[in-house]
Amino acid sequence: MDIVTVLKTAVAAPIIGVFLIPIANKISVKARNACAVALGLVTFAACASLLSPMMKGLTATYSVDFPLGFDFVLSADLLSVFMAAIFSFVSVIILVYSLDYISRYENQTEYYAMIALFLGSMMGLVFSANLLWLYIFWEITAIAGWRLAGFFRSDRDVAKANKMLLVAVFGGLCMLIGILMIYSDKGTLDLRFLKGEIIPPAAAALLLAGIFAKSATLPFSAWLSDAAAAPAGVGALLAVVLVNAGVYAYARIFGAVFATPAGFSCLTLVPAGLSALVAAGAALIEKDIKRILAYSAVSQTGFIFLGLASGNKTAFIGGLLYILMHSMAAGALFLCAGIIEQKTHTRDIARLGGLFKTMPVTAAAFALASLSVMGIPPFGGFFSKFLVFKGAMQNANPLVLTLFFCGALLTFLYLARLFYLVFLGEEKVQNPKEGSALMLAGVLAPALIGLALGALIYYPCVYADLLAARLGVNLE
Amino acid sequence: MNLILIPIALPLASAFLILLISEQTRYLKETLALAVSAVCLLGAFLIFTSALFGQPLELIARWAGYGMDFALKADRLSSFILLAVSLFTFLTAIYSFSFEKKGGAKWFYFNLLQSQAFAAGAALSDNLVALLFFWEGLLIFLTVFIALSKPDQAAKKTAMKAFLINAAAGLCLLAGVAITAYIAGSMSISGISADKLTLIGWAAFGYVLMLIGAVSKSGAFPFHTWLPDAALDSSAPFMAYAPAALDKLLGIYFLARISVSLFTLNGTMQLVLMTLGALTILVAAMMALAQTDYKRLLSYLAVSQAGYLILAVGTLNPAGLAGGLFHMLNSAVCLSCLFMTAGAVERRTGAGDLSKLGGLFGAMPVTALCFIISAAALSGIAPLNGFFSIGLIYEGVLSAGYTPFFITAALGSALTLASFLKLGHAVFFGNRPEGLRETKEAPFSGVFPMAILAAICVISGFGARLPLEFLIAPGLRDLGLAYEALGGLRLYPLFWVSVVVILTAVVNHMFGCAAAQGKACKACDHILYAPVLRDLYALAQARFFDPYEQFMKHLPRLAGILYKADRFFDYLTDDLPAFAVNAFSKASQRFHTGYYPLYLALTIAGFVIYIFFTAHYGGLK
Repeated sequence: MDIVTVLKTAVAAPIIGVFLIPIANKISVKARNACAVALGLVTFAACASLLSPMMKGLTATYSVDFPLGFDFVLSADLLSVFMAAIFSFVSVIILVYSLDYISRYENQTEYYAMIALFLGSMMGLVFSANLLWLYIFWEITAIAGWRLAGFFRSDRDVAKANKMLLVAVFGGLCMLIGILMIYSDKGTLDLRFLKGEIIPPAAAALLLAGIFAKSATLPFSAWLSDAAAAPAGVGALLAVVLVNAGVYAYARIFGAVFATPAGFSCLTLVPAGLSALVAAGAALIEKDIKRILAYSAVSQTGFIFLGLASGNKTAFIGGLLYILMHSMAAGALFLCAGIIEQKTHTRDIARLGGLFKTMPVTAAAFALASLSVMGIPPFGGFFSKFLVFKGAMQNANPLVLTLFFCGALLTFLYLARLFYLVFLGEEKVQNPKEGSALMLAGVLAPALIGLALGALIYYPCVYADLLAARLGVNLE
Repeated sequence: MNLILIPIALPLASAFLILLISEQTRYLKETLALAVSAVCLLGAFLIFTSALFGQPLELIARWAGYGMDFALKADRLSSFILLAVSLFTFLTAIYSFSFEKKGGAKWFYFNLLQSQAFAAGAALSDNLVALLFFWEGLLIFLTVFIALSKPDQAAKKTAMKAFLINAAAGLCLLAGVAITAYIAGSMSISGISADKLTLIGWAAFGYVLMLIGAVSKSGAFPFHTWLPDAALDSSAPFMAYAPAALDKLLGIYFLARISVSLFTLNGTMQLVLMTLGALTILVAAMMALAQTDYKRLLSYLAVSQAGYLILAVGTLNPAGLAGGLFHMLNSAVCLSCLFMTAGAVERRTGAGDLSKLGGLFGAMPVTALCFIISAAALSGIAPLNGFFSIGLIYEGVLSAGYTPFFITAALGSALTLASFLKLGHAVFFGNRPEGLRETKEAPFSGVFPMAILAAICVISGFGARLPLEFLIAPGLRDLGLAYEALGGLRLYPLFWVSVVVILTAVVNHMFGCAAAQGKACKACDHILYAPVLRDLYALAQARFFDPYEQFMKHLPRLAGILYKADRFFDYLTDDLPAFAVNAFSKASQRFHTGYYPLYLALTIAGFVIYIFFTAHYGGLK
């Protein structure tokens, strides 16, 4: 199969799945579940199989002409394949985990169909080489995310989902205006022809606002902690995939295409640093396990921006590795929270404690993932954190460094507090049972991959190095 | 396989093998751990001899790129540290062989072997990131060691405290390494050593951050506060291994590397180092006087010894550094031996509280002798090893021209001895309580490593020239310093300093015992209840001087501010827009009254504004 077909498969498979899943549901629940997981696997396999050709320097492009330069262009390069592989892998893990987890709830078909739509739009987003189509997929992810966040139908849950949608729409609107300004200035939205072009400052600021809204960065961070009340799979999807859609847009637009105006790095880093610090502080106060993890995702996303926006190759590579490591760890943490909630019927950490004895596998996965987020060796998170800090050092902005240093310090505190209260504290819940084999597989796989990535750090580093060397702009 | 990998790879793999062995098996895990640690010790010895008499072994493998190579180099100093680490792993494996109170045996040996692997890696690393990797990796095993030592909640709480303090210090180290690597343009320790950095601007900041990492590892003030808690809440084998030996060896090794090999320190930084050392000596030794628990008292003395080592490195001269490296080994030997005696006593009597112990010399003579030897050595009594190493430190401090620090160090020695007299008297002499009549000596596996360590104290005291010439001098040369053996040591005046120290401590003990009506465990109470000191001790008891406790006390307030900031942004992005939209909607409702002239007026007003805007700005592009 040639790589263009593989590229088309990666985007088309989940979108076809949106229609196939309800049909499969008519046959049987098992057929529907198998269909959902199979489509996720096909998408991941397609993305993963593109990794090697991209490293060899090949590119794959598929385009359909539209008037006014709004061509539908899908293009696979090192960055898009890297992100697509992570997103699809996390989605597969969530789908497998959901087979058991979601079986206790209603609206399962909608759940799987929306995950497929979400995944398909994410694939479209990362592979789009035209800003207009990137925007269209961007908004579809918001709609799919909205339906997923509103999975539970209580007024409170629906209101939280609406809030998420409104922030996304606001961000999308900012983005759209920014894109139109670029179109007005450059006459095209095809990213292949815009590489190295200087972006108008107002357009850059508007795009950044859209990106911050999507990636739950201050001042638009509050929606994620509210949306986290959704099922654990959705929480993981939003915190890992949706948030990283914003990060990807940043890496693509400001890291791989446009030359940014002076001071733009600071404009990104100060809110990102504040986000890292404020969210970490909020995580220390919060008592809802899922909200804590959502705050953690917000905080860690700040560190990713530190890497991507510091303006040098070391930091950029650190940022890319951070996306990889954090995706695995945050995914595992959210899914662990799902097991805990389902088995203890509470998310309040004040009512949890001593779960290590009864849920040792979940506890182990949680500990491994937490250590990776903290950046403790031998986990992969150590390398990404070090590279990000070293790269940021080259930038030598004391305010930014201080914000992130304090954020990193608080990361230890809130994750240690969470683990201590939930797993080591006094036993408060009567004999909760360990999660099912499928759910445990769902939490152990990303947690152990985080460990394995530490041992095999050579390979992701080589990939990220190639990526930065071939695609990076604005890098010293 | 390169021999240099043996002390790292073998225990790393074997640790996972131990996890596969059932907890029910008797001595299988112990035997495997013992065998692996013995092979590691042998490997370390071969690596050391190769460095000493041949070529230093090296290994460089591409790792994460950007200068982050997996680089190991066994020069004379690092292989000396490796040898010491491996020796302590081996002795701890023997000591723990039949020691029941060490938590789950499977996890104990898993942690022991992983610690050996990571400590060996840290000692041999020739790349700052590789060192950081192994150094910080140790943190996991340290935490698990403590958390699993005892089933109670206190052990888990202390494990968290140890984790957080060390993680914060590790973060400082990470930031320091990042800064240093950027300034130096290299992450190779050998590479930076060849062109040392000067303490200016960011480089000074980088050094200070790495200094925090190094001194906190060695257990110095003010990063020491988890140690006394761990002494109560963890097992004796852990205390004898990690805080007493491993942390001292690695912390001081790294401190010496950065202070002598990587940076050229200025007078101010030298003064900072020596002040930190002196402060640690004094504060910890004073706190030791107040303790009534065997292991907790020793833990404060372990902290105090870290002060001597930092003071020694701060001298930056060959005598001081020779003394520092020698005392690093000696204090590790003595403290490890002392914690082993504490474990033996605790195991046989079930008590660690000094008021419940007494007269055990007759029942546990070997343990008592080991205690006396190692305590005397650590107090710097001639002719044991501590006498020479502390003497060299005194010599270094005096040569550097800092007499007040010399007086502080000598006072610290007197306080150390006073603590040991109280401890030894309370545990091994006096009347044996009724409940301890049947007490027996520790088993062979417990006594053997203690005896080995005590023997090292004696041998390396009488034959101090041997370790100084074969371990310390080569290490010093790797730091770029020349060493003139014991020729420069003014033995005669230092002997008299030692005599004064002994006399002060003995007189204090006799006075204290008399004041406490013969109760040895209260022999230091006259100091504790002295004016001013009484208030200070009360504050210390309330953990007023514990930075961790103080920080945790104020943390909710700080986090609360950040939480409010988060809620404020939530208000800005959620409540405020909703309020604004509703307000606009209600306001515009007022204009929609159905009154035709109003609609007409609004339309005309809008048209006028549009015309004005277009005329002024030239229309929309």
